[in-house]
Amino acid sequence: MKFASSAKFAAVALTAALALTACGGGSTSSGGSAGPVDGKGKKLSVLVNSNANYPAQQKQWFTDIAAKFKAQTGADVEFETFASGNDELTRIQTSVVSGQGPDVYSLGTTFTPTAYATKAFVTLSDDDWKKVGGKDRFNQAALGISGPDAQHQAGIPFVSRPFVMAYNKDILKAAGIDKPATSWDELAAQAKKMTNPATGTFGLATGYKDNFDPWKFIWAMSVQAGNPLVDGKTLKLDDPTVKKAYETYFGWLTKDKVVDPASVGWSNSNALAAFASGKAGYLMMTTSSSVPTLEKSAVAGKYAYTAMPTTAPGQTSPQGDAANAASILSGDNVVVADYSKQKDLAFAYINLITSKDEQLNYQKIFGDLPANAEALKSLNNPILQPVADTAAKSKATPFTGAWGDIQLALVNVVVQSIPDLSKGSVDDSSLQARLKDAQTKGQASLDRASK
Amino acid sequence: MSTDSLTAGKSTRRKSSRAAKPDPQSPDDTPRRRKGLSERNRPLWMLIPGGLLMVIIIVVPLLLGIFMSGLDLDQYSLRKWVSAPFIGVQNFVEALTASPLLHAIWLSVSYSLLAMVVTIPLGIAGAVATQNAFKGRAVIRSVFLIPYVLPSFVVATVWRTMFQPGSVVDSVLHSVGIDPGLWLNGPQSYWTLILVQIWASWPFVYLLALSGLQSVDHEVHEASALDGALWWNKLRYVVFPYLKGPLSLAFLIGMLHHINNFTLPFVLFGVPAPSDVELLPILTYVTSFQSFRFGLSAAMAFISLILIAIPLFVYLRAVKLDDAETPGGKK
Repeated sequence: MKFASSAKFAAVALTAALALTACGGGSTSSGGSAGPVDGKGKKLSVLVNSNANYPAQQKQWFTDIAAKFKAQTGADVEFETFASGNDELTRIQTSVVSGQGPDVYSLGTTFTPTAYATKAFVTLSDDDWKKVGGKDRFNQAALGISGPDAQHQAGIPFVSRPFVMAYNKDILKAAGIDKPATSWDELAAQAKKMTNPATGTFGLATGYKDNFDPWKFIWAMSVQAGNPLVDGKTLKLDDPTVKKAYETYFGWLTKDKVVDPASVGWSNSNALAAFASGKAGYLMMTTSSSVPTLEKSAVAGKYAYTAMPTTAPGQTSPQGDAANAASILSGDNVVVADYSKQKDLAFAYINLITSKDEQLNYQKIFGDLPANAEALKSLNNPILQPVADTAAKSKATPFTGAWGDIQLALVNVVVQSIPDLSKGSVDDSSLQARLKDAQTKGQASLDRASK
Repeated sequence: MSTDSLTAGKSTRRKSSRAAKPDPQSPDDTPRRRKGLSERNRPLWMLIPGGLLMVIIIVVPLLLGIFMSGLDLDQYSLRKWVSAPFIGVQNFVEALTASPLLHAIWLSVSYSLLAMVVTIPLGIAGAVATQNAFKGRAVIRSVFLIPYVLPSFVVATVWRTMFQPGSVVDSVLHSVGIDPGLWLNGPQSYWTLILVQIWASWPFVYLLALSGLQSVDHEVHEASALDGALWWNKLRYVVFPYLKGPLSLAFLIGMLHHINNFTLPFVLFGVPAPSDVELLPILTYVTSFQSFRFGLSAAMAFISLILIAIPLFVYLRAVKLDDAETPGGKK
């Protein structure tokens, strides 16, 4: 690993040095903030995640946006894509170190704190916000993970992808359930009614082996029970609320027996497939990007989305701010690189892609919800309505550079518990030990963050 | 890897032909060497471009890595990484005492060794079985190579799918009354990894063993036949000595390859990995790219480099792979 990464490192350093000598002093800063940006002869470099579901549409979108941008500013846009989070990280690392690379990056929301911690991206001033159409333009909830506080924000919301659950209307009806659950206890009770191992039907579909889903459940249940997980400089994974969350999450399999036993090996896509084949009442932790799959599946026309429960396990109604923690604040932010020599051009580009029309257009093609407030309001697709509502009821995960580690520690508890899960019970002492381990690792990381 | 095996095959063949003809380069053949291009006048400057590249690609990153291992380098200090606080050996101390590094090294080395111990007899058996011409030998030989030419990523993805709970492997075992348990999590995952590694890497040993077999001279076969050696004696005392060189090489390259194998465990088990398969490359990766502890990760990599280099050095001295005077081992 070391060789590979440092070799890349050296290569980048070398190319950077060559590039610097090649274009020495040729660059000029772009004009003032007033009026349209003149970008004639310039080229903006943008890094976005490649859309595996719609590769052809994405290419088309690149072409269209580039043409519009050229018409507005006279500058070209060059799109680069990354396939995985790791890919992107490598790009960011090399760019951060060499001070050269894309001008604009697209980042997942939970990765934004880590990126912010590198200080390699522009923290927007009031003036900068004006250049991208003003802060008011955006769904205010979506700004929750743009920076540590309202004055220090680097991430400009681009799309929202709130997590919801899907349910099979027919299966719910057959079990005599008239409306989807709003508390985790009710969810388990409903799921029990729908489960029938003889027909292979289970109340819930979820993937215990997913690399991300598990921590979102634990986060949601803990936050709804009043534990924000990160409280200032203290990590609270050793709190009873967290243990209760794990017990509930594992309990679906071990006590309630409302999930397919095979789901100890599932990722989210396996759960989606199970739900799509009509074998599950609820599909947990999904987004609007499951629409294309479901529309072509056996449950087409029979499913609906709804917010996940907001009442913590063991409680009867949402406590405190719990009702606003239906989902993690999820989606994509765009950030402008600090080293960019054409920041105004970058802001002009962001202004274009976050405009109402472009946001609606993007939604139509890719399914992701607009971050533009007006565009979000104007959506009138009944299937997406509950998802759009959830976008306003999403809560940001703690804004700390240690979040990546905490997330990893939360998932690790599940990964190490899978053998027990598959045997049918996770005993208390081993869960306790795993939580303690997670707490130690996460707290160490948090200590580094607040140093 | 494929080039490795090619050159390995060539070198064995070359070595054995050298045994017959006097070697113009051999040290005890001094008068002959003086007649050729003298050592002093060799145009060594022509190595400069290659040497420079080696320095940039290998030496500089290695030094950078060692330098990084002394820094408190993380996402907070990455941007101005040269001025990240220098903390001496603290990363090394943390890697050895407060991280699962030693456990990871133990897992990596033991799994590699187990996989090699199984693949070597398999490879030899495969090579011996396809040594004599028979109808369809070319087909069999090609089939043997399939696991070797498949990208690691594909191998791991297919095996992962087969090992899913309730998937192909489970249903086959269930039908004969065995409950196999979990393949991709828990203690059994270690054996899953070894199994897949054996499947994927035995053709490499097979290739090298085959190259060794090809280098056995006809005269030797004839001589042993005249002496009345039966197949086992012939194999044991005549053929195997020829295989010592290539197989030592296979063992060496195979071990290094297994210890450094990232794709297979990463795709099979994902991240975070079950603690039973938290191998060295996975741990280094997670430390670097999930926890962003670049300094700590560099220290881990450096420690493992040393740990691997010691037995490697001893081994290289012992088998003298670089010594042209002992072609194909003792005969």
